[in-house]
Amino acid sequence: MLHRLKEPWTDRRAGLLLGALACSVLAVIVFMLVFIAIKAWPSFANNGLSWFSSKGVVDQQFDAMVNSGLNPSAADYELGAWPLIYATLLTTFFATFFGLIFSLLSAIFIVEFAPERIRRVIVPVVRLLAAVPSVIYGLIGILVLAPFIGNSVITAEQKSSVQFVIPLSGTGLGVAIAVLTVMITPIMIAITVDGLHAIPRAWKEGALALGVNRWRAMWTVTVRAARPAIIAGAVLATARALGEAIMISMVAGSKGFSPNPLDGFVFFFEPVRTMAATVVENAESINAPAMQSSLYALALVLLVGAFFLSLGSWIAKQPLKKYGTRS
Amino acid sequence: MIDPHEKTSRPARTTDEPANGMMPPPIRRITLDSQPTVALPPSQDAVAIANTGDRSLAAAGRPTRGVAGPERMTISDLSVYYGDNHAVKHVSLPIRQGEVLALIGPSGCGKTTLLRTLNRLTELTGTARREGLITLDGTDIDSLEVTEHRRRVSMVFQQPNPFPMSVFDNVAYALREQGAKRPKKKVLEPYVVDALQRAGLYDEVSSNLDHPALRLSGGQQQRLCIARALAARPEVLLMDEPCSALDPKSTNVIEELIVELRKELAIVIVTHNLQQAYRVGDHVAFMYLGDLVEYGPTDDLFDNPKAARTRDYIGGAFG
Repeated sequence: MLHRLKEPWTDRRAGLLLGALACSVLAVIVFMLVFIAIKAWPSFANNGLSWFSSKGVVDQQFDAMVNSGLNPSAADYELGAWPLIYATLLTTFFATFFGLIFSLLSAIFIVEFAPERIRRVIVPVVRLLAAVPSVIYGLIGILVLAPFIGNSVITAEQKSSVQFVIPLSGTGLGVAIAVLTVMITPIMIAITVDGLHAIPRAWKEGALALGVNRWRAMWTVTVRAARPAIIAGAVLATARALGEAIMISMVAGSKGFSPNPLDGFVFFFEPVRTMAATVVENAESINAPAMQSSLYALALVLLVGAFFLSLGSWIAKQPLKKYGTRS
Repeated sequence: MIDPHEKTSRPARTTDEPANGMMPPPIRRITLDSQPTVALPPSQDAVAIANTGDRSLAAAGRPTRGVAGPERMTISDLSVYYGDNHAVKHVSLPIRQGEVLALIGPSGCGKTTLLRTLNRLTELTGTARREGLITLDGTDIDSLEVTEHRRRVSMVFQQPNPFPMSVFDNVAYALREQGAKRPKKKVLEPYVVDALQRAGLYDEVSSNLDHPALRLSGGQQQRLCIARALAARPEVLLMDEPCSALDPKSTNVIEELIVELRKELAIVIVTHNLQQAYRVGDHVAFMYLGDLVEYGPTDDLFDNPKAARTRDYIGGAFG
């Protein structure tokens, strides 16, 4: 029996085995999705669409869930998760936005303008940065950046302007965005650099030979052709930002609060808590059924959000492929 | 329609062939004195040449030589180094308006380097260094803005390299990049159509100017690249083996195009194909290992090569 395994494998056997592996991965994901959906159901069922709205104070609602004991009534499930969703959208959007600008410009510098000696140092460093555990960024954020902002940047007037709504301590939306941007930019740079390198040199030379300078040739031909890779990098980074929990929970202030854009610049000093951070911070209260269901509900929203992110990037890439080599 | 001399002589030749079927390189059998009795239309001629490799046939359908105009570019004592490698050695050449200069020579002899130097593309290579003077209309090209220089001296590459855009956007690219303000499509259209017509591509793509350029055939892509270069109204057109990636028919179309364009431009073409150099070149420069071995009018250089190395190369002894 065993001797048959030593024979060279046929394509059929290899194909079957690999197919089984791929299917098992898919099965695990589907199982996970179904499991989370079932667990999350009580939270959605008791709140309806108002789950996604802003009603009451979300942190008080969580306290009520923890205190509701093992047999919670329908009222104990009450949750308006909008502040958490809003915080997730804000941090993810701003971090991706700034990350996209920084990473694209850095990648262009690395690929087109950096002298060979600098390039040889900077590319490995960027790849290393992409692999730094996020908690280290969180540590720097909470030990260095947050105290600095709390003590030196936020003025007394700014603190008093919102003192009846929310105390400002330094940790908040701005720090979260800044640290998140620093965290996701290296991976975006790495992918964008690879994408720009993959564009045939002949296209760039063709543009240069027509009397276009290197910056314009880069921008109008190479970057244009590399847009699918840039989007892919941005999506990967966005997914990381979307799911980042520990680091955000350290630097974002950890309050279920919706920052008000009308507050002007104070907006960026106001504390928030994202969905992923909420899950990680309340994991110890998971024995309370109401809390458990709410956390699973948050997880489901994150999961579906990530799915739509992939779908959105796929849709965004379609028109870009029209003029590419792949038809 | 083939030259009658040709037809009668061919059976005689086949009987002389060795029994193992090894054909001598066709290029060696040069009958310089046989004048064609019937002038062939160029297209059939080119196919015949591609089949037989006979240069007397090339002479038959060959257009008349261009009329040399004023000297547009002058290369004097040009040397190019890649690090320690002396790739082009003390070359001096004139490039005249209204004629085609063909650069021939074996691989790695510095033809392409010389061509890229004329367009200042060698400057992109970090290790490249240049000595000697190149002038464009009497002005040292180093004193010109590099983008301005490349607009006047444009280049077509060995591999067709249309941008991943529509046909229209490809041709309009240089026009759009030249102005500070982005012109409207309506304004650009006549220029684009004109460039496509001059490149002999318009009839084939007129109905689908917004199609992706990368879906055109290889020959069409190369003509699109020529149109793209022509749209910028260059004064000198550099062509780096423009037909080496193409089939004989497309090659023929592009050669006709080169001969046509010669009237308004100075053209420098690098080619591995000796027949092509003979067909389109008005002057030919033979380079070997970075040296300019011989330069002269095409007929002189092919009929009476002065240097032994030229004679050997043309005879197919090496290269």
